[in-house]
Amino acid sequence: MAPAVLPLLLLIVATAVLIGLLVFRPGLTASKGGKILAFFVLFLLPLICLGMGTDYHIGRSESTTFCLSCHEMQPFGRSLTVDDPGHLAAAHFQYHRVPADEACYTCHTNYAMFGTLRAKMHGLKHVYVHYLGTPPAPAAIRLYDPFNNRECLHCHLGARSFEEGAVHNADPDLLPAVKTNKLSCLSSGCHETVHNVGALDKEKFWKGVP
Amino acid sequence: MTFSADPLERRLQLSGILLILGLLVEAFCLFWTQPIAFVLFIGVGGLLLGLGILLFLLTLVSKHQPHH
Repeated sequence: MAPAVLPLLLLIVATAVLIGLLVFRPGLTASKGGKILAFFVLFLLPLICLGMGTDYHIGRSESTTFCLSCHEMQPFGRSLTVDDPGHLAAAHFQYHRVPADEACYTCHTNYAMFGTLRAKMHGLKHVYVHYLGTPPAPAAIRLYDPFNNRECLHCHLGARSFEEGAVHNADPDLLPAVKTNKLSCLSSGCHETVHNVGALDKEKFWKGVP
Repeated sequence: MTFSADPLERRLQLSGILLILGLLVEAFCLFWTQPIAFVLFIGVGGLLLGLGILLFLLTLVSKHQPHH
């Protein structure tokens, strides 16, 4: 979740005003108090602004609206409102199995060490392709790697509906295979309809909460 | 605004100008919701802030020759 913008903006403005004071009256730094002021406004406060700004942008980049702000992603956003619980992404979004305001990031980040960093590097590549490359058609967009069950199990592992589900327990070998990523949740034929953006024109859509 | 005749103060002024430019870019990027805003924030704002801070630190360790 992106932190509030107002405190950061106030800090930026206050820092800029103080720096402006030193730029227009550099003689202030001759005194001991002026030297301390210079250390704060030319070193410490800009560093804090940079850190808070980075935190703000990284937080914002995890929001659903951020991901859907590129037109290539809009069909994927539309797929979240398909009125069919058999559509995995739509069901997760509409039933709040993932936070609605961080729906894309929750499933598409990588819950391993440096997963967030990896997701951000992919994001930078997407920005590059969007502005300087040739973006593929939405229906032709594919994941970099097959979806790892680890990302599903991050939430579902240990959940009663997952562990005691009738279908999951119909075959005693199924759950161990899923938990060790030998059997994919998605491509095994069980939960394979995810976004299905190539066939959205045939779907009905949920209008959402008024 | 006029630049100081003292080399140390002039470097501090230059550092301040770089920092203000970096902060302006940062403030602008806060209100720009496109993903390119993050690239601009780091690539331009971060660079200007980094240069400003570096110039300030270099000024601290440089030998001060007062202007006569």
